[in-house]
Amino acid sequence: MTTAVRTALPRSRAEDATQENQLAVIVRRFLRHRLATASLILIFFIFVASLLAPVITVFPRDAIDISSSNRPAPPGVVDNEGRVHILGIDQLGRDLFTRVLYAARVSLSIAFAVVLASETFGALVGATAGYFGGMVDMVISRIVEFMLTIPTLPILLIISAILIKSDTVLPLPGFVTKALSAIMLAPEREVQKVVVLILILVVFGWMGSARLMRGMALSETKKDYVESLRSVGASDSRIIFRHIVPNGLAPILVNASLNLGGVIVLESALSFLGLGVQDPTPTWGNMLAMSQSYMSQHPWMPLVPGIPLVIVSIGFNFVGDGLRDALDPRLKR
Amino acid sequence: MKDAPEDSRVLLCAEAVMTNYLIRRLFQMALVVFLAAIVTYFLFNIAPGGPLVGLQQQQRRLTREDLARLRAGYELDLYWPVRFSRWLIGVPRGPIVLGGNDLFSNVAVGCYLPRDATLQRNADGTLTRIPAGCDQYEYLSDIQKYHPLVKTSNGILRGDFGLSSVILRDRPVSELIKSRIGPTLLLMSLATLLSLLFAVPIGIYSAIRQYSRFDYFFTTVSFIGSAMPVFFFGLLLILVLSVFPSMLQISLPWIPRLPPGFAVAVRAYDISSWLQNIQPGTLLDRLLHLFMPTAVLTFAFMAGWSRFVRSSMLEVMRQDYVRTARAKGLFERVVIVKHALRNALIPFVTIVVLQIPGIFAGAILTETVFAWPGMGRLYYDALNRSDWPVALALIFITAVLTVFATLIGDILYTVVDPRIKYS
Repeated sequence: MTTAVRTALPRSRAEDATQENQLAVIVRRFLRHRLATASLILIFFIFVASLLAPVITVFPRDAIDISSSNRPAPPGVVDNEGRVHILGIDQLGRDLFTRVLYAARVSLSIAFAVVLASETFGALVGATAGYFGGMVDMVISRIVEFMLTIPTLPILLIISAILIKSDTVLPLPGFVTKALSAIMLAPEREVQKVVVLILILVVFGWMGSARLMRGMALSETKKDYVESLRSVGASDSRIIFRHIVPNGLAPILVNASLNLGGVIVLESALSFLGLGVQDPTPTWGNMLAMSQSYMSQHPWMPLVPGIPLVIVSIGFNFVGDGLRDALDPRLKR
Repeated sequence: MKDAPEDSRVLLCAEAVMTNYLIRRLFQMALVVFLAAIVTYFLFNIAPGGPLVGLQQQQRRLTREDLARLRAGYELDLYWPVRFSRWLIGVPRGPIVLGGNDLFSNVAVGCYLPRDATLQRNADGTLTRIPAGCDQYEYLSDIQKYHPLVKTSNGILRGDFGLSSVILRDRPVSELIKSRIGPTLLLMSLATLLSLLFAVPIGIYSAIRQYSRFDYFFTTVSFIGSAMPVFFFGLLLILVLSVFPSMLQISLPWIPRLPPGFAVAVRAYDISSWLQNIQPGTLLDRLLHLFMPTAVLTFAFMAGWSRFVRSSMLEVMRQDYVRTARAKGLFERVVIVKHALRNALIPFVTIVVLQIPGIFAGAILTETVFAWPGMGRLYYDALNRSDWPVALALIFITAVLTVFATLIGDILYTVVDPRIKYS
């Protein structure tokens, strides 16, 4: 039986070559979308800058500059050791360039974690619904429809107001918090709060990919190869994981890219309203919120976190659009 | 002549189907509203904060009776089913009198003086653990003693949202909502109207001239509009239209600047050297304040809607009947307006109808950025200051409106497109 399945997926050298060609085709199609390419480059630049944050800046994240008494201060202020604050300092005397880099780390990690978790979960749920059909499909589809009609922002605000204000801490294994705190370069205590936010965003973010995957699974399940897989005795989970999910991966990838932008905006909206990531941990959202009270005297302040936020959120949307064109030209607008 | 009775029978039948459908949907709606009420109520009841938070530290200075009185003020002495029922429908309000007899007056509805678990030292030196319990139960007959009728809500289902606990202490929530609904209605309906006016023609024209320069331009603009964080766009507008012009005021006094927040000014102001002394509360003052929030919302709505109109228009233009209409030799204008557009706007109806709850609930982010005194900002304040009755009322209203809007959308859908059947 296993040989039958294996012969269904032969991997000759010729086929590898065509696959490489396919990849080249996809890359070429993607590069034709100029806005998507430009966005990808900009996002990559921000990503690398945030990765190298401790190397690029000389200041620690929360260090307060005690040498100058006018706070916030404009870009180019020099402290008493001769170090330049490239983007100025905020109202507490912290270096804004440093904080915006660390904020990129936090915001991007949250976005990637949320999207990875919600797309995976959604894809599995959707594939299950589409593959089994009947009662399972009915229940899952109703749940998805219900969650999609809920106005997202008000509900998200309530839930984070309740969970984040009460300092809820999820029981996480130590290595998870350690790993996350190494990625975000934030103390573990702060990371534990961020994880709650990630969880909230996942709970409200999986429906899109579930719906997509359900549609794919519905049409795939009717095809002959699924029937033949069943006849050679492949188990349901094998068919779902090895055949249906990989077949529906292209739209999920596009959706993930679009979602990355959406999640970054949503997270910064929550942080902007004071109900997301809280102050000592920098994110673009809470930096914007703080700059709001000083912007009439210090107009550069909202621009510091705002510009990268806009680049990344619009950028991921363009990348998603480019990916759609590249992966499936039939879907083109 | 023969067809006439048959026709009316078909109509009658359709009417019966419609009534059946409506009744079923109304029942479903009632169920959803009830579920929404339960879920939101319990969400807020597990929420921390609220009126008694500050008291935890002062507990030593308060006697147990003081604390009990305070707890009773927020109905925290009642058991949760009783509290929920009082919140939802406003009963029980006191002993039930039927035919001169008090019924159930000895049923305990709450605990007026709760007792924490303590350890008591006995005479022989051993410790006895006294479990948590209740020193004084509250019975149905005492409800009016501890909860005066003036403070008791008639129940949220009867439109009485109770009293605000923080923002306007001990004033009815409905009063707060009444003062905030006007600005929200004004802002949201203006933004909705404007974005419809822009989005529909842009969407149609983009679809007709697909891949033209116009199309590419507006597709990109709407892409940016739907990806742009509303709050940063708002801050950017404040910078460009208000902060920078004020900074240039001395060198370039003719550049107009807009007032950055609130719905009306407090005192007279001028926006440039040629437009001075604007009185607060005048039409011009209101329009100037309205400009930026409306622009932000319009941009955001327009982005999504124009793309929607475009894609559904493209979908319809590919259909056979449009080709038939063209083949008949109809003018392109007639083909587009009479044949394509009518069908293309059908799915758009639901989207616009689903905007209704938003018109009442307001835009939380935009109203917060511009300090617009509307419902969205009220919701934000209520959450940030833990004024749970206000937040509960707002989320409940939004839930009810969303359910209604969905129903109206579904019905409208079947009205504009008879091919769709109720099921």
